[in-house]
Amino acid sequence: MNNKAINYKIPIDQREIKRPLFIMLSIFALLSFSVYYLEISFIEMMMGLPNFVMFFFQKFFPPNAENLQHYIPAVIDTLGYAVISTYISTIIAFILGILISENTNKFKTLQVVTRGFVSILRNIPFIIWGALLVYIFGIGGIVGVFALILVTVGFLSKSYAESIDEISGDKLEALRANGSSYLQILFHGVIPEFIPAWINWTLFAFEINVRASVVLGLVGAGGIGVLIDTNINLFKYGEAITIIAVVVIIILLTELVTNSIRKRFV
Amino acid sequence: MNPLLSIKNLVKVYGKDTRALNGISLDFYPGEFIVVIGPSGAGKSTFIRCINRLVDPSEGEIVFDGQHLEKLTGRKLRKNRAGIGMIFQHYNLVGRTNVIKNVLHGQLSNLPLYKSLLGLYRHEDKQEAVELLKKVGLQDQIYKRANELSGGQMQRVGICRAILQRPKLLLADEPIASLDPLSANIVMQQLHTISREKQLTCIVNLHQVDYAKKYATRIIGIKQGAVVFDGVPSQLTEAMIREIYEGKESQMALKNESPHLPGALTDNERSHAMPMAAGQNDE
Ligand SMILES: Nc1ncnc2c1ncn2[C@@H]1O[C@H](COP(=O)(O)OP(=O)(O)OP(=O)(O)O)[C@@H](O)[C@H]1O
Ligand SMILES: [Mg+2]
Repeated sequence: MNNKAINYKIPIDQREIKRPLFIMLSIFALLSFSVYYLEISFIEMMMGLPNFVMFFFQKFFPPNAENLQHYIPAVIDTLGYAVISTYISTIIAFILGILISENTNKFKTLQVVTRGFVSILRNIPFIIWGALLVYIFGIGGIVGVFALILVTVGFLSKSYAESIDEISGDKLEALRANGSSYLQILFHGVIPEFIPAWINWTLFAFEINVRASVVLGLVGAGGIGVLIDTNINLFKYGEAITIIAVVVIIILLTELVTNSIRKRFV
Repeated sequence: MNPLLSIKNLVKVYGKDTRALNGISLDFYPGEFIVVIGPSGAGKSTFIRCINRLVDPSEGEIVFDGQHLEKLTGRKLRKNRAGIGMIFQHYNLVGRTNVIKNVLHGQLSNLPLYKSLLGLYRHEDKQEAVELLKKVGLQDQIYKRANELSGGQMQRVGICRAILQRPKLLLADEPIASLDPLSANIVMQQLHTISREKQLTCIVNLHQVDYAKKYATRIIGIKQGAVVFDGVPSQLTEAMIREIYEGKESQMALKNESPHLPGALTDNERSHAMPMAAGQNDE
């Protein structure tokens, strides 16, 4: 029988070829339907491309850097929103994260309720929070900060909770066994182990918040995004492109800084 | 003499029908060094964890130092747990915290939260922590992070932490199962020496029958959640061992082949073994 087996082909995949084929066909069908339904014409898109490029270079160039120093307050505003909202969010999210994680909260109902609340915060895009809050509070910086906090709390709570879950119960068990109180286990067992993840997630949230606070300006929630919006509306494309360049530089610098902090502490 | 720990008809059922403990009744007296042996799945860990209620027993009584532990909750349970030290197979140190702080964790239950947060441990506790670390040969690692130590070193920190609780009873669940033979030897040796010095009662789960025979004043054999042997090491005959591990002989055979048997040392060598071993910090 062993001799015979040599002549058999040995498949290295158990699944049949039909499945991947089926999946590929379905994806293609979905694409075709979307294109058909939205009446998107690829030809039109291709035809429009030169126009778009022409428009871009004619209107946006040369960049107009005359008012560069006037953007500085807006830049500081934008960064300020990101700093404040990340700062406040990390505190709130830490408490919520502790309530969500099984390692630190044994009350199932409280866990589920908190998780649900956080999931609502997270699943409403920040731009919608921004638009909603502008509608309620009117245009202004506080709206931007508020919107960022809501979304960041949603994001960080879940991430923190997952990281706290990953701290092995073993380590906390030793403290449980020697009679330490809940808060002592939290402060002497959970938090020291959680710090690298905490730094990582918080810096990540800050990066996202810098970008987001630019975008929030576009719905009137303050910061440098407002300038982009106004200048485009006033057909001052040269200034708009300069501001966009400033934004790109801010974002790149932020990443540079957060990465170097990460390297040093984690 | 009154028993320090008295266990009556202890039963633990996991889920619906996993009977890990099948009615265990035992008395433990002050100063005993008890080693619990038995095949994998016999219920050794469950037994030792029921004592300090890391596992809640389904039935039975646990009387420790005159206190019924099986009904306690909250603050009272914590106070009683503080009187029972525990050493774990996986050391269970807080890895990013330094060695001396890990040892001082043994005193957390005697300190209000704000003091422990500010690091305001009592001077005599800090002093004893340093002395204990010296005793196990870790005087040069005091400010290292725990996760920078070797397994053997971590377990020695674990011992110091448990001893700093100044417990009456010391529990150890397979303290040397994750260590190489040499480190295992050192750790077992030190655990024994320190607990004799402090006149502690010890209950140690072990897989290695030879270690049990060497250190125990009393050996308890558990099989399928019941006590099948309870006596002094000399009563533990080959036939008895075979019966305890019946059906799992492979586990027993392995246990008898550990290469660095402490028994292989002469008495003279043995008296030197501990300080020598303690000096080896970088195994
Ligand atoms: N948390 C748990 N949930 C369900 N069953 C468990 C749990 N812990 C242990 N058991 C079961 O209880 C029985 C005894 O387990 P226990 O861990 O006490 O054995 P042990 O003697 O310590 O074994 P080992 O030598 O392998 O550590 C086993 O059948 C095990 O599967
Ligand atoms: Mg076990």
